[in-house]
Amino acid sequence: MPPLSNLKIAVSLSFILFIAGCHSPTDNKNLIDYNAQFPKISGGTLINAMTGEPSGLISMIAGESASSAISSNIFNSLLKYDKNLELEGDLVEHWDISTDQKTITFKLKSNLKWADNNPLTSADVLFTWQAVTNEKNASPYASDFLLVKKAETPDPQTFRVTYEQAYAPALDSWAGLQILPKHLLEGKDLHTTAFARNPVGSHYYKLDSWKHGEHLKLSRNANSVLGPAQIDNLVTRIIPDNSAQFLELMADNIDLMGLDPIKYSRIIPARPELQKKLALYKELGNSYTYMGFNLKHKPFDDVRVRRAINYAIDKQEIIDGVYLGLGINIASPYKPGTRWSNPTLTPYPYDPAKARALLKEAGFTDSNGDGILERDGKPFSFEIITNQNKEREKSAVLIQRRLKEVGIDVQIRAIEWASFISRFIKTGDFDVVVLGWGLGLDPDQYNIWHSSQQAPGQFNFIGYNNPKIDKLLEQGRLELNPDKRMDIYHQFAATLLEDCPIIYLSAGYGLTAIHKRVKGIDDPAPPAGIGHNSQDWYIPQSLRRNEISAH
Amino acid sequence: MLVGISLISFFIMHLAPGDITSNEAAFNPKASEESRQKLREMYNLDKPIIVQYGLWLKRMLTLDFGQSFASHQKPVFWQTTDAEGNVTEGLIQQALPITLMINLLGLAITLSLAIPLGIIAARKYQGWQDRSITLFNFIGFSIPGFWLSLLLMYWLGVVNNWFPISGMHSLNYESLDTWDKIKDTFSHLFLPVVIPSITGLAGITLFVKNGMLDVLQQDYITTARAKGLGEHKVVYTHALRNALLPLITIIGLSIPGLIGGSVIAETIFAIPGMGKLFYDAVLMRDFPVVMGILTIGSALTLVGNLLADVAYAWADPRVRRGVAKT
Repeated sequence: MPPLSNLKIAVSLSFILFIAGCHSPTDNKNLIDYNAQFPKISGGTLINAMTGEPSGLISMIAGESASSAISSNIFNSLLKYDKNLELEGDLVEHWDISTDQKTITFKLKSNLKWADNNPLTSADVLFTWQAVTNEKNASPYASDFLLVKKAETPDPQTFRVTYEQAYAPALDSWAGLQILPKHLLEGKDLHTTAFARNPVGSHYYKLDSWKHGEHLKLSRNANSVLGPAQIDNLVTRIIPDNSAQFLELMADNIDLMGLDPIKYSRIIPARPELQKKLALYKELGNSYTYMGFNLKHKPFDDVRVRRAINYAIDKQEIIDGVYLGLGINIASPYKPGTRWSNPTLTPYPYDPAKARALLKEAGFTDSNGDGILERDGKPFSFEIITNQNKEREKSAVLIQRRLKEVGIDVQIRAIEWASFISRFIKTGDFDVVVLGWGLGLDPDQYNIWHSSQQAPGQFNFIGYNNPKIDKLLEQGRLELNPDKRMDIYHQFAATLLEDCPIIYLSAGYGLTAIHKRVKGIDDPAPPAGIGHNSQDWYIPQSLRRNEISAH
Repeated sequence: MLVGISLISFFIMHLAPGDITSNEAAFNPKASEESRQKLREMYNLDKPIIVQYGLWLKRMLTLDFGQSFASHQKPVFWQTTDAEGNVTEGLIQQALPITLMINLLGLAITLSLAIPLGIIAARKYQGWQDRSITLFNFIGFSIPGFWLSLLLMYWLGVVNNWFPISGMHSLNYESLDTWDKIKDTFSHLFLPVVIPSITGLAGITLFVKNGMLDVLQQDYITTARAKGLGEHKVVYTHALRNALLPLITIIGLSIPGLIGGSVIAETIFAIPGMGKLFYDAVLMRDFPVVMGILTIGSALTLVGNLLADVAYAWADPRVRRGVAKT
């Protein structure tokens, strides 16, 4: 919500100034020592908050994160990622890949049941595949599944898919597709069905109630295919404003929320009574912020210029200044610590002398002594555009200053999202963007880097065209063996870093505060994040909220 | 008139760049351009604007406000029932009562405070009472509502735990008895209602005060005093009735605001009202919802103006006679 973000910053700033001067709330809860040992016992209610309400709980149709955040507690997929982000079975006992790598056979676990006691079989899986590929449903995620040439169910526990040619991201796509019940949805229009607000799933929880604009309550599903979860109820309140969410967290009305760096590293550490009851977690997300060049515009077609700009930008300064140190510098488009991230690569250091030398080599000199470099009489000047995102705007300002030091004149423009996309990105009418990518767990990034993906509306809008990268991306899609695939993507990342079509600015941490009454959370977070074992989280009896008085 | 309003708003809305497929969440490499194109075809967004307007107008003739693009195709205005008897409530149907209740309560509080304050300020014109009322009003007028809201939420909700911080109901609302339900609703509504009424006080108080000052200088007031009527009777029987006439206009003009709601207040207090609905719909380019709210809003504005005129005629014999003569 771009226009609101200015307001939010203002709100949070005035708010910080205010609470810094206030005395602390006192209540008897402060006397409880949350760090003591408690027996593990199931039950209780976990309350969290979301800024947006899901439009529906069929996530292949809804497509937004609010929807999948809830529906991933209700529906299973065939596969899932374990704590180290390796694939394992979810509904599936095991899966086999044929020797030509084109056919995958999934063997479902036995005795699977939906929450309404009907059996869950391969027919449901087939139905889900038909639904996601059905043109009428216009699912945004259809493209991966349209590559399946043949899907069949030899028996109720076996589901087999055959691809035209080997397609490595297939396994990841099956980990993302939530299996829907055929017996309730057959013949229904998925866009209007009441099922989206009253779903029946197979996972740890089922939907208990949904009060529009207020909250969604999930309760334990007795038929859960993966066994029972520890916590009885999950309540998600819808609180659009972050400051209001934080007040609710302080007042102990919600148990967890995502934080921004200021709350994480300034507000909570400064207040002992919050520190006493809140535990802070940080985990690397699957996203990064970058500065991308329009490679069809001069002089960004020259790799020396791109590298020079990379050397001229102090990435650590951006991490420290914009993210209060809660981010890391990256050298590949993958989450560090996972198998796809190439550990031998190092980011470009901050080296203005090298930047100046490279710019000189590319033909830029300051011939008129105004501090700005010129080539062929034209000053080196460009505009950075970004959407109205405070972090990106601040990063752009720091970049502007560093580039000025090496003699490049930069202007900054922040634009509302829809205009940003339709006027600038789709038309290719830009020099440089500061944007971010939030990525899936599969290493395939064909849509972003392959030279065939440059049409308006496609994602290679920077116009990157490198035959070597194209080839690696094509190979990576055909190789289902994880180790061989890893080599391909390590090479891909190395080539990308050398060619420098974008500059990685930072990968920020996801920051979460959770009330200390919630136990069983892995700290430090494993690669999959703290949420990977949320079914094992528990709230000891004596620490539970008095549910009668809960606001 | 309504056709004109809807035509203009329809075109302005479609002039804004982007559509439902270009929101930030859709900027996802997993979602292909083809699937977005399919979505556009599904919603007729690929047709020329004038055709889209025609389609919309055709539906409007049967009072069909259509379905939202963004919210799982919920009906925009009123509930629908599908073949199995599942009722899907309309977006405006859900949001309008909440916003109306909050704003009517707020207006009632504002008026019940502003009228006495305005009278006192006029009677003690330039006295300390007048000056302190003016000062209080302007402080209220100048404080940004969201800031005051956050301060009070912190003080009343976090430090003291007297009032809930946000939301409409407690989580255990369903299990309460009727009396506790009423108490619960009122405690949740306290902050969202009181804060806008304080910040809205200044305007109406000034209106009442100035109206009162005007009236008190009229000859007939002097006459009333001269014939020895008590001050109380002069002010409340003779002066007040005339001084309140302009208020009818103000209230008439505030009717669109009553259904409009405030984005900022609704966002901070987590209230699913009209302001938030409209704001989100504009950001998502959810055309049917935007058009539905604008159409209902403009219809209600016209009704409000009409009601204000009628009320004026009822309250002021001069207007009434003027109407009768022509």
